[in-house]
Amino acid sequence: MSRTTRKIVIAGVMGAISIFLGASHLGFIPWLAGAALTIMHVPVIIGAVLEGPWVGLAIGFIFGAFSLLQGAIAPTGPADVWFTNPLVSILPRLLIGPVAWLVYKALKRANEIVALAVAGVAGSLTNTILVLGALGLFRFLPWALIGTIAVTNGLPEAVVAAIITVAVVAAWKRIETGRKGSTV
Amino acid sequence: MDGAEEPLIRIEGLHYTYQAGTHRAVPALCGIDLTIHAGEYVALLGANGSGKSTLLRHLNALLLPTAGNVWIAGWNTRDATHLRNVRTTVGMVFQVPDSQIVATVVEEDVAFGPENLGIPEDELRQRVDWALSTVRLSELQHRASHLLSAGQKQRLAIAGALAMHPRCLLLDEATAMLDPVGRRQLLETVGHLHQDGMTVVAATHNMAEAALTQRIIVLSEGQLALQGEPRAIFSQIETLRALHLDVPHPTLLARELSARVDGFPADLLTIGELADAVATYLGEPAGAAI
Amino acid sequence: MPMASEFELLGRVTIGQYLPTGSLVHSLDPRAKLLVVLLLIIVVIVSNSLIGLSLLLLAVLAGLAVARIPLRFALAGLRPMLPFLILLALLQVFAIPQYSIGATVIWHRGILTITDRSLLAGILLIARFSIMALGLSLFSFSTTTTELTHGIEHLVRPLQTLRLPAHEFALVVNIAIRFLPILAEETERLMKAQASRGADFGRGRRNFVQRTRLLLPLLVPLFLVSLRRADQLIEAMEARCYLGGKGRTHLIRLQERLPDYVVVAGALGLATGAIYLSRVNADRLLWSWLSSHL
Ligand SMILES: Nc1ncnc2c1ncn2[C@@H]1O[C@H](COP(=O)(O)OP(=O)(O)O)[C@@H](O)[C@H]1O
Ligand SMILES: [Mg+2]
Repeated sequence: MSRTTRKIVIAGVMGAISIFLGASHLGFIPWLAGAALTIMHVPVIIGAVLEGPWVGLAIGFIFGAFSLLQGAIAPTGPADVWFTNPLVSILPRLLIGPVAWLVYKALKRANEIVALAVAGVAGSLTNTILVLGALGLFRFLPWALIGTIAVTNGLPEAVVAAIITVAVVAAWKRIETGRKGSTV
Repeated sequence: MDGAEEPLIRIEGLHYTYQAGTHRAVPALCGIDLTIHAGEYVALLGANGSGKSTLLRHLNALLLPTAGNVWIAGWNTRDATHLRNVRTTVGMVFQVPDSQIVATVVEEDVAFGPENLGIPEDELRQRVDWALSTVRLSELQHRASHLLSAGQKQRLAIAGALAMHPRCLLLDEATAMLDPVGRRQLLETVGHLHQDGMTVVAATHNMAEAALTQRIIVLSEGQLALQGEPRAIFSQIETLRALHLDVPHPTLLARELSARVDGFPADLLTIGELADAVATYLGEPAGAAI
Repeated sequence: MPMASEFELLGRVTIGQYLPTGSLVHSLDPRAKLLVVLLLIIVVIVSNSLIGLSLLLLAVLAGLAVARIPLRFALAGLRPMLPFLILLALLQVFAIPQYSIGATVIWHRGILTITDRSLLAGILLIARFSIMALGLSLFSFSTTTTELTHGIEHLVRPLQTLRLPAHEFALVVNIAIRFLPILAEETERLMKAQASRGADFGRGRRNFVQRTRLLLPLLVPLFLVSLRRADQLIEAMEARCYLGGKGRTHLIRLQERLPDYVVVAGALGLATGAIYLSRVNADRLLWSWLSSHL
């Protein structure tokens, strides 16, 4: 079976999940003070862990491009104002996948589950830190406020991302390597 | 091989084992020998997990044998240089309608296969139009593919295979997820294709569908259990039951009737045949009176 | 019933919102529109000139008029954002200390200071967002997702000669869009199954833990179903002889026409102008000219 075909399809399908989570608002979890946590970056992490850094990059691009588009045509909160800038919405997202993949690859030998969890946390924090960092660099927000958001939003997002990454990838690999349902 | 009468599909000593991780191997096919000739309409029966899908996937090189060989029109499927020849000779239609449509527009999905083959633009358009009209989807050519009904999606999948000008169609439980109308229309389409010379191999759980074919092959635990004409196969009700398979309802009914009514035929397959037999039986006395 | 409304919402999951009016803008080559959007985004980032951005805003409004998109449609996304927008602009004006270093103080009272730079930053924030919101709305009102995928595919095709995975990227986007309705359908199925087991997907606000507990049994199966469907799609593509982009031909051929060239050339001119105005600090020149003559 061709690896390239698999990479293309997984990138497309995970990209679709990211868009779907955003468009259906299923990917937003209500959080403090009307702010929302997002899990739209989880497909990026899962795609990267399963199929490598380039797939992660492609899904990250789709996630970013969609959050730019959504920020402009169907904005719902203050963050959308900033996301219309691709240096905030797209550029940081490109790195989520490669970082998650690197971490997973480095730790996989030791313990697969731990590797998945840490990859989830690392991918998620990449998103938080780079997006907020861009907001600070472009002087959209004062750094003090950025630090607060990093902790209040970034940490719970990282936890949720790790949980979903572990649950999905562990189940999938067992399915893939164990007995796979032949007829759906 | 002597070359003159090379069958379209020739399988010798086919074994296949799924390598499920390092620790578990799942043997799925255990020594299959089989030939299928051009123009045949064959049904592949067998309980869930008996190896039907695995066998079909060997016929267009989606899987390669663990041991043994498969030849398609003389090409060994192991020979990577003939991969395209094998896959254009044998088109595949899968069970889940939605998961085999690549493009968002009907006609572009039909074009996906020939585009991959590098067919030039004007011929591409002809092939797409021909394939869509063959499965009677021409009016929907610009429709969004996800808006089709399940039956239309399966006909679209057939059109996608036809556009590559295959000599053989493999249907892997292609009717399983369709409603009765969708199923009937799909079988009509397949029937027409077969009349025009297409070889068809259809895995199915639907016995009425199997009754329409020329030959039935029954798999059990990765081995050939039975093989023969539908009438001969469906007369072995007890053997089939042991293999967890049904018999077409008209056949069962005919059996019951022939046990009670003298001279009523026992080996009927379709509702049509049953109706004819009943009409003959009821009609004869009246006819004799005249 | 709240549950029903959430299900219905899933059925309408789309990218953007197409509004067929049959206008000239609608009939433009999607490649031309994508190029214009790309230019728009670049200018909005690069240009710091209020004059330049105002010209851009006028051009976008003109585009909306030509496309016969009612302004209230185009503003629908913008209106609920007004409070945030004003809040963020005020944040720019008052709370970012960098804007007060070496700037001219225009207004000062207690701890509140407005400098010329911070005021400009606040106004630019509103201008930039309005341009992006109206510009991308114009694009999505006038372009179907099919045109979008065709446009992307044709636009990136020349990049293939630079050994960039352009064909692969276009196919990824195509598959992503193809999968959206499948995901909506699968989610609806999963939600109904969960609802029958007592889960309540009403839209009421719930706290973090409750919401997460509700989402996990939905999301994990959604990922797994999607991966299984991805496997099926891979098989189907390979059965149809997909072996990479090499040597593929194409059923659809986009045909560029005169208006496409005119629009792209116009956009290029406007973009260059807006960036030039920013480079020569046109706003400041105009300001000093105005203050010396009035
Ligand atoms: N991808 C796979 N990995 C491991 N085992 C598999 C896989 N696909 C099928 N099998 C196993 O191979 C056997 C034959 O399956 P299959 O060919 O799908 O049967 P059928 O189509 O008749 O239901 C079954 O035991 C099934 O569990
Ligand atoms: Mg099967």
